[in-house]
Amino acid sequence: MSPFTRLSRRIGWLPLLMAGAVEVCGMAVENGLSLHEQIDAILARDWAKEKITPAAASQDAEFARRVHLDLTGVIPTGTETRAFLDDARPDKRARLIDQLLASPEYALHMARVFDVMLTERRLPTVKPYDVATAMWRAYLAESFAANKPWDKLVREILDSDGSDELQPAAAKFYVVRDAEPHQMTRDVGRLFLGMDLQCAQCHDDPRFDDYKQADYFGIYAFVSRLSLFRDNKLNRSFVGEKAVGDVTFTSVFTTEQGRTDPRLPGGTMIADPVLAKGAEYVVAPSNTTRGIPNYSRRKQLAEQMPRAETQGFVRNLGNRLWALLLGRGLVHPLDLHHAKNPPSHPEVLQCIEQWLVENHYDIQGCLREIALSRCYQLSSELPPGSEPPAEAFAVAPLRGLTPEQLRWSLLQATGRIEAHFVRADAQLKKSNPEEYEAKRNDWRWRKDLYEQLERQSNLVITTFAALPGQDDSKIDPVVDHALFLLNSPKLLDLIKVAPGTAFDRWAAISDPGALAEDLYLSIHIRRPTADETSDVTKIVERATTPAERASALQPFVWGLLLSAEFRFNH
Amino acid sequence: MNQPPLSATEIGLTRREAIARAIGIVGATALAPVALSAPATEPRKQLLLLFLSGGASQLETWDPKPGARTGGPFRAIPTSLDGVRIGELLPHTAKIMHRLAVVRSVNSTIADHEVGHYAIQAGRLVPGYPVLGSAVARLLERPDDVLPGYITLRRDGPKAYTDTGDAGFLGAKYEAVKVINGRPPENLVIPGGIQPAVLQARDAARRAADERFLRGRAPGPIHGYGTTFDQASALMQRREIFDLDAESATDRDRYGRHDFGQNCLLARRLLKSGVSCVRVVHHDWDAHQDNFYWHQMRCAEFDRTFVTLIQDLEENGMLEHTLVVVTGEMGRTPQINNLGGRDHWGRAWSVAMAGAGIKPGVVFGETNDTGTEVKADQVSIGDLFHTYLRALGLNPHANYHLNGQTNPIADPAGKAITAVLA
Repeated sequence: MSPFTRLSRRIGWLPLLMAGAVEVCGMAVENGLSLHEQIDAILARDWAKEKITPAAASQDAEFARRVHLDLTGVIPTGTETRAFLDDARPDKRARLIDQLLASPEYALHMARVFDVMLTERRLPTVKPYDVATAMWRAYLAESFAANKPWDKLVREILDSDGSDELQPAAAKFYVVRDAEPHQMTRDVGRLFLGMDLQCAQCHDDPRFDDYKQADYFGIYAFVSRLSLFRDNKLNRSFVGEKAVGDVTFTSVFTTEQGRTDPRLPGGTMIADPVLAKGAEYVVAPSNTTRGIPNYSRRKQLAEQMPRAETQGFVRNLGNRLWALLLGRGLVHPLDLHHAKNPPSHPEVLQCIEQWLVENHYDIQGCLREIALSRCYQLSSELPPGSEPPAEAFAVAPLRGLTPEQLRWSLLQATGRIEAHFVRADAQLKKSNPEEYEAKRNDWRWRKDLYEQLERQSNLVITTFAALPGQDDSKIDPVVDHALFLLNSPKLLDLIKVAPGTAFDRWAAISDPGALAEDLYLSIHIRRPTADETSDVTKIVERATTPAERASALQPFVWGLLLSAEFRFNH
Repeated sequence: MNQPPLSATEIGLTRREAIARAIGIVGATALAPVALSAPATEPRKQLLLLFLSGGASQLETWDPKPGARTGGPFRAIPTSLDGVRIGELLPHTAKIMHRLAVVRSVNSTIADHEVGHYAIQAGRLVPGYPVLGSAVARLLERPDDVLPGYITLRRDGPKAYTDTGDAGFLGAKYEAVKVINGRPPENLVIPGGIQPAVLQARDAARRAADERFLRGRAPGPIHGYGTTFDQASALMQRREIFDLDAESATDRDRYGRHDFGQNCLLARRLLKSGVSCVRVVHHDWDAHQDNFYWHQMRCAEFDRTFVTLIQDLEENGMLEHTLVVVTGEMGRTPQINNLGGRDHWGRAWSVAMAGAGIKPGVVFGETNDTGTEVKADQVSIGDLFHTYLRALGLNPHANYHLNGQTNPIADPAGKAITAVLA
């Protein structure tokens, strides 16, 4: 029995989708191909079959910008860009990927990404009782810094009721949804299983045969006994649970009735144990006490959900990690996996799933493999004469920067992050020389410093973010964004000529060629063309002092920051 | 880009041309001729969509069933149209029924807010298509337009689905510009102390960069982003179109001092200014409890404002070229639940229209005695979409040709309701 068949047996539903995959994945395992080589082989075969010519490989500069944005959430500095472009080692891309994945910025970036993914920028109805965002982000950052396996992370999130000493912040997932059972049901399905069962709340979904009302209520039964308990003394919210409450449902179409115990899609029902009368609760719920049952269905959810056997659990993670780097899921949209909406490249998704199971949900390792693939490293310049469809993954897509990527990239391009860290670094060296080396690379120290910068730039997030509960990735550019970039005094504050910003450096470069190079390396993360150098030369030709040079450059820098090349991840 | 400096008044227009020239695409996207008539000298057709969000009850409005087990407590009253009665909560509307066309036989099959919001406005279930406002903004666009084609007026709030979908594959240019809680978009004014030369240099740098970046890349997203800057400069120059204070106090009173009233007055102002499509969202019709109390409140706001608006449009000569549509994302169940509410319902409900292209004084279709089924002349969401386009003089059988793809403007399975067309 090949390792692959063994795995298929373990994950019983996989073979259904497998038809032609065994060969590729099977071969892959026997030949010891790495995941990215398997991905490359499958896609090359699919492109040939569809007669699609993929784009050329990306230029080094294109790759550097993209991989920094995807793995650390910000464009590189001009200095980093120059060093990478001038590096002659043939394996410099793999080195850069590893270096970025090992950096504290990776953990902080992933914390921001998963914060938005898991909370969807929701706020609980009673704001002061929320789990503080800083605490929740720190919890996520710590998890990603330690490369916590996804099953463990999900288990903690579903298990936390806010009282846990170790992971109180993990309860944020419940708290921002007011622990409202229907909202929880929908989002557990969407975010952890890739299935939006909302329509199945009232009836079997007429659009898809495989979304059943019984599936919806199977999940619902895990969370139907929950409610939020607001502790007025601690000013915090906790998740409370009752020990009783059965779930029945009626189809509004057929008036058929059903009753269900907790059950995950494709799984079996989990009956409550029979408890002696009076033994239902550790703490019985009342107006002043939070209900803690002896047998918790929520804990069952935390236990049952994060397993390879749970239909959709591994697939959802694989699909979301793919989308993080490629801008779109293999299953698209991310939360609509069903028989009529299969993955565009089923074998790619299967190989990723297999890899994730074999490598115990190693998120960092999986991102590394995807980033190493030829597909990830394609250029965003179209292959001659054609525009391949997005689902072919044959050209790097133009994706708008997320609000967070845009914020940090604006601060990076204008030199504000570097300046901030240089100051803090000097201070740390002086005040704490023994621990300096260890501390400066600690995500905690860096997180606090980034938070200081966040305060001046929060308006970028509120302007560009989707409404609470709405998926950010669907947001197209709209006129309000343009008005902000053109006229907001807050934005101007971030990009004006000011001491301690990149304008200091630019003002000091009197050679126009060198100046153009520095500007383009810092803002567009590449060297300028001859035309661009001549543009810069014209702009500064009449400037005789550094101050004049800075003010002549400011409108030009502003224009570059508003350009599509800056606004997109490409 | 060596454009001469532009005077303030011509910037919005000329910029767009400049970009089109620079990128070598005139008219941005090829579109087969879709207008059925309308030489350019005629006033532009316009669309006003009054969206009753949450789903108004057809039984308390256009299709009352007094005395039926599903009928609820309210009476039906006679209208200006012989033999036609509507719910007593709409006494003013009853007096202008001869100006309206009402379809009582809509079966949209959808009983969900989010799906309904999209599907009713896109005229189909398949995702990714532009909603009515975006589609019509695109189809009625003229080359010299500077203002955005579609503006939506709504309340702020967590119900994000009120904007579901929007422009779809038409892209950012046809997304609705949003007026939320009566506030125009922010940042409409150039901050003080910035010299015009700075702005020109900034814009020239951005345009030159985009022109270079475009070479060899997929143009859609790059144009889409660039367009938002053109729209921004147009809005900055015409920001007075959002200024309700420029309307008289008398008018502000006549329209009602509530969100819906003030938004309808603003809608009139926007239509007068030449915006192709305006949508006003009237919120809170989702009466799962105390349906009859809620409909008293909602209908009272709607009734007076709606009639004021229709009469104004008529007196100003605007109604003949403005299609007015009154719809929600669904109707409400005939069955009254044990909280005195009516729930989500898509199988038999009503939509009203007036103005451009509509035959006034028509009631089309019929439901059964309890309102649970359509009895005659069933109408689908695709049929409604076809009807709206035809009323605006557009050809619903034409296609969009965009990015190498051909997509039907309206669902080919639908057909216009000729009985309500003039």
